[in-house]
Amino acid sequence: MGLQYVLRRVATAIFTIVLIVLLNFLLFRAMPGSPERILLGRMPGVTPQILQETRERWGLDKPLVPDQLVRYVASTLQGDLGFSYSARGRPVTDVLAQRLGPTLLLFGLGEAFAIVMGLVLGAYSGWKRGGVVDYVGNGVSLILYSTPYFLLGMGLLLVFATGLGWFPTFGMSTAGATYAGPVDRLVDYGSHLVLPLATVALGLIGQYAILMRSSVIETLGEDYVTTARAMGFRDTRVLRHHALPNAMLPTVTLVAINLGYVVAGAITVEVVFNWPGLGTLTVDALSSRDYPVLQGVFLLLSVAVVFANLAADLIYGVLDPRVRT
Amino acid sequence: MTAPAVPAGAGGVVVARRQPGLLRQILRRPDGLAGAAILLVFTVLAVIPDILTGPLQTAITATGPRLAPPSVEFPLGTDELGRSMLNLTVHATRISMVIGLLATLVTVLIGAVLGIVSGYVGGRFDALVMRIADFFLVIPTFVLAIILTAIIRDVLGTGSREIFGIRLSLITIVVVIGITSWSSTARIIRSQTLSLKERAFVDRARVVGAGAGHIMRRHILPNVTNLIVANAVLTFAGAILTETTLSFVGLGDPFQPSWGQLLDAARTVGAPGLGAWWYFMPAGVGIVLVVFAFTLLGSALDAILNPKLQSRR
Repeated sequence: MGLQYVLRRVATAIFTIVLIVLLNFLLFRAMPGSPERILLGRMPGVTPQILQETRERWGLDKPLVPDQLVRYVASTLQGDLGFSYSARGRPVTDVLAQRLGPTLLLFGLGEAFAIVMGLVLGAYSGWKRGGVVDYVGNGVSLILYSTPYFLLGMGLLLVFATGLGWFPTFGMSTAGATYAGPVDRLVDYGSHLVLPLATVALGLIGQYAILMRSSVIETLGEDYVTTARAMGFRDTRVLRHHALPNAMLPTVTLVAINLGYVVAGAITVEVVFNWPGLGTLTVDALSSRDYPVLQGVFLLLSVAVVFANLAADLIYGVLDPRVRT
Repeated sequence: MTAPAVPAGAGGVVVARRQPGLLRQILRRPDGLAGAAILLVFTVLAVIPDILTGPLQTAITATGPRLAPPSVEFPLGTDELGRSMLNLTVHATRISMVIGLLATLVTVLIGAVLGIVSGYVGGRFDALVMRIADFFLVIPTFVLAIILTAIIRDVLGTGSREIFGIRLSLITIVVVIGITSWSSTARIIRSQTLSLKERAFVDRARVVGAGAGHIMRRHILPNVTNLIVANAVLTFAGAILTETTLSFVGLGDPFQPSWGQLLDAARTVGAPGLGAWWYFMPAGVGIVLVVFAFTLLGSALDAILNPKLQSRR
């Protein structure tokens, strides 16, 4: 992996982030109602003079480009994303920071489970193509892939929380609970985590399994696999040392690219379980038309996905020396 | 996303001329047949909901008990207003399918035009369009779609104007899905255009003095039609899922409920927590079946148009 490759990837990532910030700026301009009106709210007795002063104070009398844009970019870079409409006065950055933890926990774990199980299932079905596991696994994967995450969540909620009563129905912990000790607390949090986590993991397994299956099948048709077989290596060895490492390659990129889509699922799963993360925040912000928060979420998630893609590109460059440009 | 690349030999004039046979080829495969059959059922539901279940029930015309489980009179139970879930779900089929169809048309139109022009013209225009396409491929377009829908709705206001029998609020969703999901179509069509424009018949057309517009319309477009169809099938599945998810987060229209809107209503009422499975299972099954059917059709098309894959099966 040459320096040029790294630089090019980093440049692309920076370019994408610049576009995201620009888009965010434009969206802010497209919003209904003039900014000074939003700042002043529905205060009575707003004279043209007060309007003018407000405009001057916030730099709204300056031209859109470059003055306002420069100011917007500068404050965004400093982590100033404006203030939430609904949580009055609170900076968007604060609001986001508070919700980031639960989302990271839920989706970090969910992704990890799904990747491991999806890859194993996919690899096995691809290897034993036409077998029972392949047949059933592929069907189940396709159906899971066709199911919106939130629907899966509602189903799990219905069966395991309402029907069987094994798990609580919402939230991250029991409201107002007092814990006897750290173990108690952990058990309570854990039992709240099971269903949302299962939803995320199940929702993702399908696509990873399908991906890995076709990748393994493709790799098994390669000449070097045939050669390895001809040399008399055992099947398991061929799979583990020759086919799998190469079959994993495309999944690295696809896992990163899929992150953008996964985010959509993230939002809805949290809503079903009232999980206090970014997804629930987004839907709440949407219903109260809290645009600064919505844009903050968009910026945060986009930048995260861009970085994930950059990381995947760099990892891919290390794993596959054939990649040069 | 790797484009399901059609090898240069497959997209030639020969395939284009064979097009009437495509449907028959699909129906000859088990996955294609199953997909087509499922879609046929839902298309019938979408075309004649009034004949099957009567006009869409409202809070005023509702006759049933509240949130009642399925019975003889209400085969799929009722919602919290006493409306028949069968009636709502069948009518929602129409809304979901029509929005899915319109959104697919918009997406594929934008993607195909940009893909062909970008691939044929090349140069700076191509570089710019592909940069923007990459941008849309990477960013979480769903969050952008939420913001765009909200802004457009607030700017336009939600009147009772209708286009194609669909309320303006839902047309917003169609447009937003188009804006946010054209990029993969554009990339696929572009790569095919790149290989087509090097072919002899395009050179010949150029030599006899055909203009760029003529070549793109008469020589490139007919040769990417199959690819466009295959792509539209997958886009349709994606569009239905996106519409469902947008409606689920509260951007649906209660006056024209889609499947997603019904699911949102079910969640708001707390149907899973109340054990009211009949509230969301029908719409849920509808979504899964339709998306599944499109996926089956897509894989059938992929196998037919991609002979490399076919020979290995």
